[in-house]
Amino acid sequence: MKIAVLVKQVPGAESPLPILADQKWVDESAVAYVMNESDNYALEEALHIKEVNGDGEVVVASLGPSRIQKVIREALAKGADRAIHIEMETPGAIDPLATASHFAQALKDENFDLIFSGLQSDDVGMGQTGVILGEMMGMATASLAMATEVGDGKIKVKRELEAGWFQWVSLTLPASITIQSGLNTPRYPSLKGIMGAKRKEIKVIEPSDNDSMQSLEKIYVPQSDKQTVMIEGSVDQMVEKLIDAFRNDIKVL
Amino acid sequence: MEGAFSFVEKLVLTIGIFVVLSSFIFELWRRLRIVFKGRDSLPFDRFGTRIWRVIKESFFHEKIIGGRFWPGLMHGLVFWGFIVFGLVTLDHFAIGYDHPLMSDSTHKNYSYIVIPFSILVLIGITTLTYRRFITRPKALGEISLTSGLVAVFITVLMVTYLLGEMKLSPLVWRVNWWLHTITIMAFIVLIPRSKHLHLVLAPINIFFKPFEQESHTPVDINLEGSEDELDAMLSDLTRMTKNQALDIFSCVECGRCLDVCPASRGGGILDPKNHFILDLRQPLLDRGDVDVLSNINVEAGWECTTCLACTEVCPVGNQVEKSDEIRRLEVLVEGKVPQEYQKLFMNLQESGNTEGATSSPLAERLPKYTPDKEYLLWLGCFARYEMDPNFTKSVENFTKILDVAGISYGILENEHCSGDPANRLGDKLTYTMLREHNMEQLSDVKKVVTHCPHCALNLEKEYAKYAEVNYKVEHHSQVIGQLINEGRIVVRKGNKGKVTYHDPCNLSRMLDEVDAPRTAIQATSENFFELEESGRNTLCCGAGGGLWWKKETTGRTHLVRAEQVVESDADTVVTGCNFCYGMMNQGLKPLTPETRSEIQVKDIADMVAENLVENAKDSSVS
Amino acid sequence: MDILIILEDNNGKIHRMGLESIAAAQKMADSLGFSMGAVVLGSNADVLAEEASEYNIGEVIKINDSLLGSYSADGYAEAVKQIIEQEAPTYVLFGHSYQVRDYAPKVSAKMMKPLLVDNVAVNMDGEKVVFTKQMFNAKLFSDVTPSGEGPCLVSFQSAAFSSEAAETGSATIRDASVNLDASMIKTESEDPFQEEAGGVDLSSAELIVSIGRGIGKEENIPLAQSLAAALGAELASSRPVVDAGWLPSAHQVGSSGQSVSPKMYLALGMSGAIQHVVGMKGSKNIVAINKDPEAPIFEISDYGVVGDIIEIIPKLTDALKGV
Repeated sequence: MKIAVLVKQVPGAESPLPILADQKWVDESAVAYVMNESDNYALEEALHIKEVNGDGEVVVASLGPSRIQKVIREALAKGADRAIHIEMETPGAIDPLATASHFAQALKDENFDLIFSGLQSDDVGMGQTGVILGEMMGMATASLAMATEVGDGKIKVKRELEAGWFQWVSLTLPASITIQSGLNTPRYPSLKGIMGAKRKEIKVIEPSDNDSMQSLEKIYVPQSDKQTVMIEGSVDQMVEKLIDAFRNDIKVL
Repeated sequence: MEGAFSFVEKLVLTIGIFVVLSSFIFELWRRLRIVFKGRDSLPFDRFGTRIWRVIKESFFHEKIIGGRFWPGLMHGLVFWGFIVFGLVTLDHFAIGYDHPLMSDSTHKNYSYIVIPFSILVLIGITTLTYRRFITRPKALGEISLTSGLVAVFITVLMVTYLLGEMKLSPLVWRVNWWLHTITIMAFIVLIPRSKHLHLVLAPINIFFKPFEQESHTPVDINLEGSEDELDAMLSDLTRMTKNQALDIFSCVECGRCLDVCPASRGGGILDPKNHFILDLRQPLLDRGDVDVLSNINVEAGWECTTCLACTEVCPVGNQVEKSDEIRRLEVLVEGKVPQEYQKLFMNLQESGNTEGATSSPLAERLPKYTPDKEYLLWLGCFARYEMDPNFTKSVENFTKILDVAGISYGILENEHCSGDPANRLGDKLTYTMLREHNMEQLSDVKKVVTHCPHCALNLEKEYAKYAEVNYKVEHHSQVIGQLINEGRIVVRKGNKGKVTYHDPCNLSRMLDEVDAPRTAIQATSENFFELEESGRNTLCCGAGGGLWWKKETTGRTHLVRAEQVVESDADTVVTGCNFCYGMMNQGLKPLTPETRSEIQVKDIADMVAENLVENAKDSSVS
Repeated sequence: MDILIILEDNNGKIHRMGLESIAAAQKMADSLGFSMGAVVLGSNADVLAEEASEYNIGEVIKINDSLLGSYSADGYAEAVKQIIEQEAPTYVLFGHSYQVRDYAPKVSAKMMKPLLVDNVAVNMDGEKVVFTKQMFNAKLFSDVTPSGEGPCLVSFQSAAFSSEAAETGSATIRDASVNLDASMIKTESEDPFQEEAGGVDLSSAELIVSIGRGIGKEENIPLAQSLAAALGAELASSRPVVDAGWLPSAHQVGSSGQSVSPKMYLALGMSGAIQHVVGMKGSKNIVAINKDPEAPIFEISDYGVVGDIIEIIPKLTDALKGV
């Protein structure tokens, strides 16, 4: 069983996000980076399947500048066997078609049975790369998997639907699945894993030429109109104004 | 004392003694052999102090009676009776060879001492047996067969002794003598095979008890090392020290550790007696070696607040707590870390602090350290990143006190977390990174003061396990206490309400400081009273051992102490640790009944700063 | 037509997000002078077409195909792709639903045309039409534009537009067909099912009613529960409520509980202590009711009411039931 896991390095939840003067992206030098959360779950799921199977290979693939080697090493420390690093600068890169094309090029000769990726990245949050990549490579696809079961040349996934509903879908292999956070308990890299990761292979490759089909015009802080609207009046009046706010401003009714 | 013993009897006696002693020595040696396979060496430093400690704790039963008065005293009766009986027993066997050690008159005179003691022993053993088999306190656990046997043996021994001192016909006397002898032999056979080995090992164990707590072995990680080095280091992690192995065989199963454990009292599964000690006994014997630390219950291990109450209360000198041992295995070897702690470790690695924060308004306001300043003021993550925003004021109150006393201080710009959470949670790799960074930052510092006992403990004692430490560390209560004692600051008794003090476990037990905070508090309050379980016997607030960052709040470990504070009817509770401060703030509010006014939570610095008499006498610059 | 709306089926009725897409399309069409059309597909296409024809959306294109009887990513993606090729719109509008997230990227890949997802607004004031998307967990906004010629696929975030703003009117219904083959569909789905609400998963809740110490006593908890039920919200609380034993710890929000980011967080009787705030500051809208006008929660709220929650909650619940 050969499984590829796409991981992305993204700013951490508490990282500062200073915007560049030209508003085209954030100042990467001031950002604290981590592995994308749902990718971590995807990696754990892949490692788990490999362990249950008894053999197989988990290959980590990631696209980005040299700094992403940190999360690649982290994935190797957790148990991935080798890695592919598509090295390129990515400020303001938001187009999942372009990203998926790079991956399709890099992975085309590997013949993976499964490609796992997080459902979306915590930076741009397009949520498409895994599905697009699967489609490009002629694989079956499914998104927002909350559980997986592999066997008999197929994979069954429990898709998350709206409002507490779920659905099991069975896919023929090869398949590309995007993974929802929370489906397992990601492991921490053991000390041995951390040391061993230094010796595992990271193949660095050049990106192919792909045009972007959507671009970031500008990035900005939302108008923090946290002018607290104080609602006043008698109890009945306040209740009425609240309902009004719920319906017309917040739009939850 | 009648009649000569026959040759056959002496032969049987000799064989009996030989067999019994061999059995005793064999079983004892079997265990001691395992102990000697342990890591490190047994300590002999401060010899005199160690001897004195054995006398205090063993002979005078300091912790045995201190922890549980009546059972402790009853045990004392049995114990002192045993000592008095030493000579009697030797004499008894000598008689079997028709060679009594004592003359008739000595024997008679001595019996005036021994007979009353034997009555006391009977009283002691009867009450203890009643307690163990009828009352059955939870801490004693399941019914113990060996305890039953020992109760029978001791009773028989006392009764046969008393009978032996009476006028008996020769036959009855002989039978009585043999009954006493066989009982002693059975006892000797039983001792090394049961918890009654504590008879032999407890004084020895108390002698070897480390002075520094906690005494967990350092985990030296060399990232540049070879794979073999790493493998050797990792497999070493499963091995106990000699002291730890000796502990396991000395355990008397009294359950005092279970009684005091805050995790257990908060409804958790942790049972220090079993999880940290007894679960390891059979594995030690089965393996014949000490590499059994992976047998510690993992779930229980994560519940521990590392408060060392268990170690403090143990009457046979055990270092009970072993959460460090199991956590380091889970983290370093298995990579099995609860999710909330993974985030914590990442934050520490990425940002050098527990919160993953990048700036600190408090740090910006405070003066920076330069070598001409007297003290380095170590903030710690809790204060620096405002983990309880109210505590920021307490830090500033302390700096105000320093200003008034004319003491110069500054903070480290590049202060990283002391590493306490990583250290206590088993992530020794992250700990190494933080420790090495901080040691470099502290290279030209001579004196450090901090209000966080966790930081103080690490900077002073834990770091010293890895490399030489060139600075001295004081807790802020110690500085304040000294200033008050020396009259360098003047404080008035401004607080009129009922004030009590919650001793932080890291400060009272691990840094051995209980007086300085009281000096400070009593100088500011008219109406100070002690909580139950105060001083070195304090009950942990529940935040230790990394539990401040624990997500699932099942169990009430964090509320037990708060409940005690509420019940004490205090108006103000003072703490000496930022975590205790935070826990009190969180815990008191929901537990205080609506009818009562809110209990104030203050740090020692708050109490003193609020009651400081600021003279114009000393207008020095800080 | 210029704008093609893909409507989603919600058990025989147009999914609310479909109506929101209609509102969005109408706004865009109005501003750009574009024509509109909507697509319905799946087993309920006929019923949906009837409903859709009552809106001012130009045309309703109905696709009935046996292979679209139940949803499959391959089936829907291929069908939608073919319709787009047939109709050649400039924009294709979707609601950003779970289903769309599952198959729309496949359409994008098949056509090598961009899918701009999860937009909260569209701006047609400038030269180019610009879509606004949240990034970095909604901490920043971004303006995104497609390059090249159409079609450009677009999905709008839930409630970015109001379903009630969809203008009614009339539209003609037309049948269309697509060319599907069973071998194209590489998945087999079972029936959807609901899971026992065992654990309280607040992290994915859209609406949350949260109570703090101000609720006063355990006996008042049912008031909050009724309000939550009336709103269709999950019930949460701060730590003191859990510590007092009034609610199980599964409801706790905060640094030692769950982190949430609902569309609306209704904070009742909460002071806004930092340990709690860190767990809910990602909420899109915070409404706070507290009797203390100085409570820190008001500093981070969008709407604030100074009042007694014990009085207000029952009245609010009644008003909601009447809605």
